Amino acid sequence: MRDFIKVCLGIIIAIFLYTSLSKFLPRLIYLLNLFSLVVIYFAIKKDEIFGACLGASCGLIQDSLSLGVFGVAGLSKTITGFLAGYVSKKIDLLSFLRLFIFIFVLLSIEFILWALLSSLIFSERISLGKGLILFQPLSTAFVGSLIFYMLGATKIKT
Amino acid sequence: MTLFFKEKKSLIILIALILAQFILISIQLPGGSERNYFEKAVFSIFSPIQHGIVSFFRSIGNLWKNYFALRHVQSQNQEMKEQIFFLRQENNLLQNALQKFRTEKEIQDGLLEVHKNILLAEIIGLDVSNFFKSAIINRGSIHGIRKDMVVLDEKGNLVGRVISPISLREARIQLITDNESGVGVFSQLKGVSGVLAGDGNGMCSFKYVLATNKDIREGEGVLTSGREGIFPSGIKVGKIVSIAKDTSLFKEIKVEPYFDIRRLERVAVIMKEPTEIF
Repeated sequence: MRDFIKVCLGIIIAIFLYTSLSKFLPRLIYLLNLFSLVVIYFAIKKDEIFGACLGASCGLIQDSLSLGVFGVAGLSKTITGFLAGYVSKKIDLLSFLRLFIFIFVLLSIEFILWALLSSLIFSERISLGKGLILFQPLSTAFVGSLIFYMLGATKIKT
Repeated sequence: MTLFFKEKKSLIILIALILAQFILISIQLPGGSERNYFEKAVFSIFSPIQHGIVSFFRSIGNLWKNYFALRHVQSQNQEMKEQIFFLRQENNLLQNALQKFRTEKEIQDGLLEVHKNILLAEIIGLDVSNFFKSAIINRGSIHGIRKDMVVLDEKGNLVGRVISPISLREARIQLITDNESGVGVFSQLKGVSGVLAGDGNGMCSFKYVLATNKDIREGEGVLTSGREGIFPSGIKVGKIVSIAKDTSLFKEIKVEPYFDIRRLERVAVIMKEPTEIF
């Protein structure tokens, strides 16, 4: 029950931050993937099944709040959540640099998957936000690793 | 067999989730832009949450804002009085112009209808994947919102139209800056017509103007033509900012919309087509 409340709180914070940022600093939205951070955080804390299920839920919420093909974000976040939970069990994420690289690789995979699904399969033009979106994995990984480090996300596993 | 499932449990769940989402995606293909029931359900659950979060923080923000607003209320009041004065003059002039075509009673009834059919709504969220695509408003089916209703900003400039999903108290609007939006438009000076499509980055393209056309200029305003049957004609859309020669048959014309997504807080939803009113 406590985990469920924590997850709900994480999603609510992501929605709130997204809504606030889009009002005051709209360009920042291209640089931060807040829903993915929630997925990766809880996937590291729990396991790959939890990560995949949360990834699917968060992705579908993101899809429902945006105009596009419903399920694209769901699919890419499911894989991200699964990989985050699975790989985090195998490697040591105690150092900041490792954590940063880990999140960066995950987010890059997610971004490539999302872009491929959106533009190649569904021939939907993706908005690059004047190229800013290409930096999204890097900037999100930096912010994410800072937050995770402060919250001690990797402490339980190691 | 049981051991196999135990060992591969996580992989099986992952494959099941991926398959479920592929099915979800493929369901949408025959429907095209029509939203499926599952998406409508997710939207109906999460848009009120977003609505609640935004309302809560907006009310806190408003408390602070109201305190400062009180300090400027007198000068603001004076400014507004001046604005009302000019708006009344404008209104009178327009009414006089209309009287050439209609009787006074017809005009008064028409204006009353216009007033009754404008619904004020607030933007509670922007598109999470690209904020130039769509937005969510705090009015839904319970308030009489229907698909394809026209949405304008505070100054009466075109913002977009209502699209599905529409929940009880929330609805989604497609912005004219979305790359899948299409609006019939014409240029203000010489009436060159074409189709306005968003580029997904906050700007629009005025399409299908022949490269040989010399009647269109930079800085010119763009209005809706009403040819697509959704937007009534004569609504202000934007301004032409650049005209370039394309390699194709047509010119490459960039239009900057008049509405500003960053300042978009309140919008007006036209509950009826103005042609139905007047």
